[in-house]
Amino acid sequence: MIANLKALFSDIDWYILAASLILMVVGILFIFSSGVTSTGVVVSTEYLRQIAWVALGFVFLMLVVLVDYKRVKDSSFVIYAAVLLLLVYTRMFGRVVNGARSWIGIGELGIQPSEFAKIATIFYLSKYLDQTRHSLPGFRRFLGSLAIVGIPMLLVLSQPDFGTALVFIPILLSMSYLCGLERRYIVFLLSTVALTLVLVVLPLWERNIAARPTGLLFVLYEGPYRFWILGACVITLGLAVWGFLVFRNRYYYWISYAFLILILSLVGSELGHRVLKDYQIMRLIVFLDPSVDPRGSGWNILQSITAIGSGGFAGRGFLQGTQSHYRFLPQQSTDFIFSILSEEWGFLGGLVVFGLYGIILWRTLALLKTVKDPFAVGIVAGLSGMILFHFMINVGMTMGIMPITGIPLFFLSYGGSSLWAVLIGIGLILGISARRYHS
Amino acid sequence: MSDLIPEAKPVDPRRILVFRLLAVGILAVYTGRLFYLQILRGGEFRSQAASISRQSSILPSQRGEIYDRGGNIPLVLNVDSFALDIVPAELPAEMRDTVFLKLAKLTGRPVEELRAKIPSSYYHLYQPVEVVGSVPYPVIVSVAERLDELPGVTWHAKPKRNYVETGSLSHLIGYVGDITREELKLLFNQGYQSGDVIGKTGIEKQYDSLLRGRDGREYRVVDVRGRKIAGAEPSVDPPVMGRNIVLTIDRRIQELAEKALGQRMGSVVVLKPGTGEILAMVSYPWYNPNLFLEADGGRAYARLLNDPNKPLLNRAIQSAYPPASTFKAVVTTGILEENAFPPEKTVLCQGEVSYGDRVFRCWIRKPGHGAVDLKGAMAQSCDIYFWTVARDHLGIERLVSYSKEFGFGTASGIDLPGEISGFNPSPQWKERRYHEKWLGGDTMNMSIGQGYLLTTPLQMANMIAMIVNDGIIYKPHILSEVRDPSSGAVIRSVAPEVLSQSRIKPETFKVVRDNLRAVITEGTARYPVSTKAVQVAGKTGTAEVGLADRWHSWFASYGPYGAGITDDTVVVVVMVEATNPWEWWAPYASNIIFQGIFANQTYDEVIQALGLSYMIKPTERVE
Repeated sequence: MIANLKALFSDIDWYILAASLILMVVGILFIFSSGVTSTGVVVSTEYLRQIAWVALGFVFLMLVVLVDYKRVKDSSFVIYAAVLLLLVYTRMFGRVVNGARSWIGIGELGIQPSEFAKIATIFYLSKYLDQTRHSLPGFRRFLGSLAIVGIPMLLVLSQPDFGTALVFIPILLSMSYLCGLERRYIVFLLSTVALTLVLVVLPLWERNIAARPTGLLFVLYEGPYRFWILGACVITLGLAVWGFLVFRNRYYYWISYAFLILILSLVGSELGHRVLKDYQIMRLIVFLDPSVDPRGSGWNILQSITAIGSGGFAGRGFLQGTQSHYRFLPQQSTDFIFSILSEEWGFLGGLVVFGLYGIILWRTLALLKTVKDPFAVGIVAGLSGMILFHFMINVGMTMGIMPITGIPLFFLSYGGSSLWAVLIGIGLILGISARRYHS
Repeated sequence: MSDLIPEAKPVDPRRILVFRLLAVGILAVYTGRLFYLQILRGGEFRSQAASISRQSSILPSQRGEIYDRGGNIPLVLNVDSFALDIVPAELPAEMRDTVFLKLAKLTGRPVEELRAKIPSSYYHLYQPVEVVGSVPYPVIVSVAERLDELPGVTWHAKPKRNYVETGSLSHLIGYVGDITREELKLLFNQGYQSGDVIGKTGIEKQYDSLLRGRDGREYRVVDVRGRKIAGAEPSVDPPVMGRNIVLTIDRRIQELAEKALGQRMGSVVVLKPGTGEILAMVSYPWYNPNLFLEADGGRAYARLLNDPNKPLLNRAIQSAYPPASTFKAVVTTGILEENAFPPEKTVLCQGEVSYGDRVFRCWIRKPGHGAVDLKGAMAQSCDIYFWTVARDHLGIERLVSYSKEFGFGTASGIDLPGEISGFNPSPQWKERRYHEKWLGGDTMNMSIGQGYLLTTPLQMANMIAMIVNDGIIYKPHILSEVRDPSSGAVIRSVAPEVLSQSRIKPETFKVVRDNLRAVITEGTARYPVSTKAVQVAGKTGTAEVGLADRWHSWFASYGPYGAGITDDTVVVVVMVEATNPWEWWAPYASNIIFQGIFANQTYDEVIQALGLSYMIKPTERVE
């Protein structure tokens, strides 16, 4: 037993562990900084709570490392189902924070079940993809994966927490890609999501950012035209499917493929317009030109860019940032933690964060070459997709090249739930890494 | 593991490579972006952050003023007022209690109330939080003098609404308040923002989009510490004033109607049938909207909300009652138009009549009115006549359709929020609702305006308007004109709009008008409607509500009779609820209103002229 433990610890990937720990310490420093006013008064105790959450999260991480992930494999469906129930409960009785019914808990303490839903979904989807590898045709596997990811995603979307729901898409993409689903399904998913997003933001983009009517676009979202177009697509799809079934010609297959993408995107964008308010859609595209809304969502981006830019090469020094301490920067401890870091530590500090993220991602992806257990491959693929997406969206947002979605920056942003979720994920990665040569 | 086919590489190495390239690509692009922002453009951003940032402050707009039809003296004004704010993050923790205590002393508000405005979850906020509203200027001056002892305290101008004329106008004008979270959800996309003042009811709500202006902003260029930079002129985005509104309400008639109703629960509607303009609308009890705008407005509102007399209710459009005998005007129209029963043929009233297992008693009891024809039945309000003719000759289907024709059961669409539609029953409805057949007894009840039928006083005024107008009802409204706040130019003027047009013959309406006149000259309202200033025609109504000695009292009338429709023609409807001690007040109140309007007298002069002082309780004469 002791020998086992010793072996386990000698096999731990210390690079990943060290990088995560350093990132968390940096996070605590800047959460502290965000709570200091221009006169040097500490007005927020968020950093103290973050310390507690880091400590507790580290315990979780260790526990996950100690338990062999394969022994939990059989319970993965139970975990997944439990998290789904928790999401349903949250949807009905949860507390509303920032407009979404996303919290459950007692008094000041609470968790966001949606963060843990990501991990549980990765876990169960890995098992599903592993089990169906030889038993199901690719198309059935694709539909099954879609359902497994779709249910928690829709539940989160109904809270409504658009940003967190969005994270499920890269999880599905990275897992199905690395677990060997046929390329056409992945392309299908990618193009449907992309086209839907474009169609959702197009009308507002035209009105507010392009600020001139762009001719034919109106047929896609106005009055009877859109229904005619949808009808024409459905008829074409029907004919192509019929053609494929009768003539068995690949040509018809690809026509059906393209038109199904088109139809799903049209329907999806229609739903998007019904569910999302104009200002929510605006947040998705305002980064293209923040000056169209300089006092609303654009304000956040402009202030964040100014803060980052004014950091320069070496930064203004810890606790010396002006944009942050003179209240110009919004949500400094959560969504815009990278901005305050860049202002105070400059380009060098940004490079350190990128480097640490680089180490975590590189070492994690390296695992995929040596891990033989397909279940473990799925977990690693899903987690790396999730971490990369969070990084890309959050840091991109602060630098004005990604939409505002309210996705936190793992390890650095203030908040217990997302931190614990990623630490459980890191624990899984470390456990898989340490056991990859055991049989 | 042994059951798995051993595979050297469970993952396609090409796919791992693609994924790695993606990660590296993102990191590279982001590093490039960071380099661009911090190194290439760093100096630019640094000087921007160091020297200048724009601070904006709100220049509040003036809400539009509201005038009566004279258009000279406003009914609602804006007065200068201020609100005190605290920026929580600038208030050091150890100073918090002393600052709150000092502010409480300066403003005279309880300290707990101030403290409750800034819960601990706000302590790190940099946005100003309003802690006291409607603060007068002298208090602001004393705060400003002591600003060094009050870190984090600021203030902003917040013009306050002052309702000059309160009384019965409060139901029409309504009041304003801070926008609630629920309202904001609905109105966010129309440009409303949190902290906005919004009309909550009445005209203030109905025409909020006209009355509200747009707040302006002043941008100051300041350094990072918030100090003004010398030489930099502030740029101003000027506020846009709200539009002024002129109502159709005649202040003199409103006051007359208010006093004529006195302290009786009920309502009065005075309407110009030729245009649909409301000249007066009174609902008692009323409230003082200025109370809501005081510092403890919430409590005043809660008190009114829980008042059993429901002072917040505009009874003229938000309460429906059985119309009682006033409905006989509708039945009469039906009988005449359908030739259901010859108008000169009589029915013998012996005071009561048996139908089914019930005895129906005419209001006069035994020995009854004797033989009455249609005109006599209307004048004497004989129930037996209408019961018999409606049940045996007109029939329920036609009764329902005439009632509908007169607008009962449909909201009139007046430009005030919260109007209810009353209720016009039908046999089909009764079967659906109670699974019971419509009986002859139900028809009899409805023919004298009892039973399921419910109408608002405004609908009653429309009924009379239709009779006066030979079948046309104009949409009732109280907005007359919209004016530009600075030049006073009329921007929009409300034209009469036909609400409904009946195909009933004009001759029919003429006979109905004659019969209504007979109510005054030889019928039930002979004594109460004593005015000589104008020839009145109308109908009394006394609705049973299940109390032994009290009834709803209606009087629905118009004047002058016989002059055709002129600019002077007015419809007056008075409704006094059964909750008041029984005085049969509705016809008396109408009498006072007609005398006042047509003899151009004040309430006190009317009381003198008509010799009514004996009827006015001493308490009412104190104003």
